[in-house]
Amino acid sequence: MPVWLREHSWRQTLTAVYLSLPLRGARATPANIFCSEQYLKVSIPPFLFEAVLFAPIDDTNSTAKIGNGNIFFTLYKKEPALWDSLTLANADKEKLQYLRENAVLKAQEKAREEAEAKKITKQEHKKYALEATMKVEEAERKRIEDLKEKERQKVAKELELWKNQQKDGDKYKSIQKKEELHQEIEPLEERKNENMNKTRIPNEGHSKTRLKSIRGHGSCSIFSQNLKEEQLPAPRVAATIKVNFTPRVFPTALRESRVAEEEEWLHKQAEARRIINSDLSDLEDLKQEEKNPDWLKDKGNKMFAMGDYLGAVNAYNLAVRLNNKLPLLYLNRAACHLKLRNLHKAIEDSSKALELLTPPVPDNENARVKAHVRRGTAFCQLELYTEGLQDYEAALKIDPRNKILEKDAEKIRHLIQGTMQSS
Amino acid sequence: MSAALGAERPQVVSHVQQALSYTVFDCKWVPRSARLLCLGSAARGTGVLQLYELHGARLELLREIEKPKPIKCGTFGATSLQQRYLATGDFDGNLNIWNLEAPEIPVYSVKGHKEIINSIDGVGGLGIGEGAPEIVTGSRDGTVKVWDPRQNDTPVANMEPVQGESKRDCWTVAFGNAYNQEERVVCAGYDNGDIKLFDLKTMSLRWETNIKNGVCSVEFDRKDINMNKLVATSLEGKFHVFDMRTQHPTKGFASVSEKAQKSTIWQVRHLPQNRDIFMTSGGSGSLHLWKYEYPAQRSKKDSEGSEMGVAGSLSLLQNVTLSTQPISSLDWSPDKKGLCVCGAFDQTVRVLIVTKLNKI
Repeated sequence: MPVWLREHSWRQTLTAVYLSLPLRGARATPANIFCSEQYLKVSIPPFLFEAVLFAPIDDTNSTAKIGNGNIFFTLYKKEPALWDSLTLANADKEKLQYLRENAVLKAQEKAREEAEAKKITKQEHKKYALEATMKVEEAERKRIEDLKEKERQKVAKELELWKNQQKDGDKYKSIQKKEELHQEIEPLEERKNENMNKTRIPNEGHSKTRLKSIRGHGSCSIFSQNLKEEQLPAPRVAATIKVNFTPRVFPTALRESRVAEEEEWLHKQAEARRIINSDLSDLEDLKQEEKNPDWLKDKGNKMFAMGDYLGAVNAYNLAVRLNNKLPLLYLNRAACHLKLRNLHKAIEDSSKALELLTPPVPDNENARVKAHVRRGTAFCQLELYTEGLQDYEAALKIDPRNKILEKDAEKIRHLIQGTMQSS
Repeated sequence: MSAALGAERPQVVSHVQQALSYTVFDCKWVPRSARLLCLGSAARGTGVLQLYELHGARLELLREIEKPKPIKCGTFGATSLQQRYLATGDFDGNLNIWNLEAPEIPVYSVKGHKEIINSIDGVGGLGIGEGAPEIVTGSRDGTVKVWDPRQNDTPVANMEPVQGESKRDCWTVAFGNAYNQEERVVCAGYDNGDIKLFDLKTMSLRWETNIKNGVCSVEFDRKDINMNKLVATSLEGKFHVFDMRTQHPTKGFASVSEKAQKSTIWQVRHLPQNRDIFMTSGGSGSLHLWKYEYPAQRSKKDSEGSEMGVAGSLSLLQNVTLSTQPISSLDWSPDKKGLCVCGAFDQTVRVLIVTKLNKI
């Protein structure tokens, strides 16, 4: 139960009520005071003072002064009248309750409104500040733009002047040209007439004037370029310079930022080619490079070029043991076998190569043509001409523009027809 | 750093912008006039040549010429000042020389290359330098050929890959060292980063190097003097300036390099009126204006006593971003200092004026 504070004292004027409330030693802060239009409460636990006022007051303008163990209220009446007493006398409990609640609600509403009003003013302030900064920036930008515009106009004027000078210059030059032409033509005409009068051979006279007129035009030219033309050196003697490029595997342009990626890719490719079939135990005593199918292929190619076909076959054999998925190895070995006249082996190898070259794409066109040609040759040498012709036609299908293939196919056709006729 | 202060720096002012209805690959000033030429490829796969004249704040179209194949590059370098014939290279490998007054039939025509002609340069014309007028073309088929307009069908010099060598695209060519009637040098840049210098007097390779990025553009600071400086620009935003006065037997020419932009540097062009100032145009649509400063001593002796060049330093005078697409072509006007035209892949050609170049 709260302790009621009842020792208050008050006095009034027509417009205001002055209420003095002693606090029994308790300290008061503004938070402890609650005031609405007709209700006043001071609650400092455990003390409580409550008053339902006689008449409504203007609670926004009323003040409360806290000090000296006392709260001094200055309440401004809404209607100037003298109150009979500070509080309503016959206030029953319900009315009191209702008034209290009402007061609380009103107070809350007021608080809300105040908060909103504050927010609105804050926003307006912000907006104003923003507009001010924008104006300042705009002014700055405009200043810079103006400077640029001035530059531009100045420069444009200079340009126009220069252009006009050019035009005038051209006109002047063309006028000069015409004048000089006129000057040249007059004496020419005079001379022409003279020649006619002197009854010279007409051809000579005409040719002379023609020569003169040509030279006349030459000297007219302001830049006297024609004179210079007579002194131009003859066209250079044609020659070719052979060029070597810094090697690059990729067809795209070289970029520094991509170099690392490209190196990695190439490395992986080389690794992949090396790793297949590398678990053959009897290869341990070979040197590192001899375990690399690419190196072996190169070695085989060199030996083929030098005519050492058996050596080349050995190299290719070893390479195949290391990696039997490279079609080029079989292709080259087929060529070796052809030279060694191991025709069945040549056919086998060409077939294996073609198998490995299965996705028939433009990239392996060359390889496929070679495979067909080698197999075809082998068949023909075994006198299986129809199979040979089939292979040649397949090769022609891939590469229709190859003249040598066409000739060979023709030869085979003739041979077939010849044997058919004779049999 | 140079003494280019804030208020005194050259400004790049965009004077006129012209939207085009085709992709412009090259733009050139017609010498001794306020006219410019735009070369490119229309959407339907034909070549377009447009001749514009500068009128105040706009460009007026004087002529439009259509050709069967898209045109990649052009030059006025090998014609006389009266004739002003344009030499063009197109997507099919044809080199044509046109008289713009009568463009139906070319004055000279040859199918020079098997693939697109990427770059063309001319020397000996326009009253500059001495010697025979010649045109050099560089193509995707890996060859660089030098043509004389007086000789039909065959080039006077052919720089081609060795038999069996896989070819690399030649992206750019430039003439230089044409200070008398015999001397001449061709510099070619390739997509694998090679730069090769061919001497046409001795018909041999004089120097080669690799700058580790595909070479987009090479230019000597002047064609008609003893070769002084060579600028080579490349992918990845780098460019190199070589001092060409002193060639070391093993180390070649001294150079300084700069990484200017994050994107490819498509073109470099020297100011005709001042050979130490040049502009680079980039793939991000920006232009950078540079000045080269010579070192105190241009050459020094190395440990074996042979002469070695010393490269100078570069300073950036100004940069400006004009477009979101690469600026692929750039040309200074030989008649008015600071006037230049640039063409970008956003189908616009812009006429720019660079101010305050006199104070550099």
